[in-house]
Amino acid sequence: MIQEKRSRIRIGREADTVRAIMESKRMAHSLGFDDYHCQKIATAVSELVRNIIKYADWGEVTISPITEAKKTGIEITVQDRGSGIADLDSAMQDDFSSSGTLGLGLPGVKRLMDEFAISSEVDVGTQIIIRQWL
Amino acid sequence: MSLIGESHNSVVVDHRSAIVLKDLYDIRPVDLNLIDKVGSFMLPQVDNIVDEWYDWLGQQAEFKQFFSNKKILQHVQQKQLDYWQEFLAGEIGEEYVKVRRVTGETHARIGLSMTVFFAGMNIFDRLFSDSIQKQNFDENEQMLMSDAISKQVHLDTGIVCEMYNYVSNELIAGQNKALMEMSTPVTEIWAGILLLPVVGIVDSKRSQDIMNAVLNEIGKTNAKEFILDISGVAVIDTAVANYLIKITKATRLMGCESTISGLSPANAQTIVNLGIDVGTVKTTSTMMDAIDKAFKRQNLKIIEIKS
Repeated sequence: MIQEKRSRIRIGREADTVRAIMESKRMAHSLGFDDYHCQKIATAVSELVRNIIKYADWGEVTISPITEAKKTGIEITVQDRGSGIADLDSAMQDDFSSSGTLGLGLPGVKRLMDEFAISSEVDVGTQIIIRQWL
Repeated sequence: MSLIGESHNSVVVDHRSAIVLKDLYDIRPVDLNLIDKVGSFMLPQVDNIVDEWYDWLGQQAEFKQFFSNKKILQHVQQKQLDYWQEFLAGEIGEEYVKVRRVTGETHARIGLSMTVFFAGMNIFDRLFSDSIQKQNFDENEQMLMSDAISKQVHLDTGIVCEMYNYVSNELIAGQNKALMEMSTPVTEIWAGILLLPVVGIVDSKRSQDIMNAVLNEIGKTNAKEFILDISGVAVIDTAVANYLIKITKATRLMGCESTISGLSPANAQTIVNLGIDVGTVKTTSTMMDAIDKAFKRQNLKIIEIKS
């Protein structure tokens, strides 16, 4: 049923974020998400890829259509090769920022999405998987 | 020419030295000696080879486009003779490499296709080989000579390709810059009221550009109202929201109230879900609403003229 294929985008410069945001929005739209959900997904991706630019040298975004039982959805994996997050509990709290910004990024993304999983290892990198169901 | 002197953008030319390039293409002193030797019998007949090459070029579609003018043709032919004289000197120094880079840039800028350039160099390579074979050398030496010529032809072609790449990157960088400059058109729509519609993606550089453009315009016009329309912005994440809040704070310090207009229902919900506190920032759903409110605050009114 799903015509969409997985798409992978390398993030190294600020200009690459545009491609990740646009591609996630395009795929969400083509899978049948409404405007609000497309906007939510694109915003979550924007939030996460900005973190790559800010905290890691480079990373990768994988956008895939997913199915489970009779459900259709979109899954986005954001992987970076940065310094990792030492204190995940703090990073997931509102108003916690290690760089003088609003400090709502990660908890905000978790609130936006149906599913959110994060794993991080110091000096290895961080991986975040988000999912949204139709 | 931008190759010499500083460039206005971040595009960098490959600055490999002659020594590094010779090493890359495996051109050894023995090769250069051979090329010098080839030069001794080739130089007197280079005119003929160039003529033969122009016979080939005359059959290409590009010929009319670039070389139909007699004066230009003569000039280019002279340049080509100079080139082969330098080529056959058996010396690849910094000056030689620099001249090749300038030549490459010229070819790229006039828009000659890389295919024709490549094919042209290939034809020259063949014409030289044919000419070597007509000489009285043993077969092994003929082969080594042709090899040496080929290596240098490849080195020269490589530099020219690099310059084609450089010129197109420079073009892209220039277009980006132009686009960025055009993308912050702060306009005074009425005395004391500024308007800026933002379209696309807002990143740190862009938000700084917007900030500078707006604050400068406020300083110039003494504006009291600034409307920032974000209906064309692709996403409002926490970073963009942070930039927008900072911009409104900075304009307020200069005595100018900001209104952010064009918040779509999707964006409004997303901002709330992200948990962003917009605080005292004035927002409206449409630009018209923002303009109307700004006029009211400035004691202005648009009235319909009844005839």
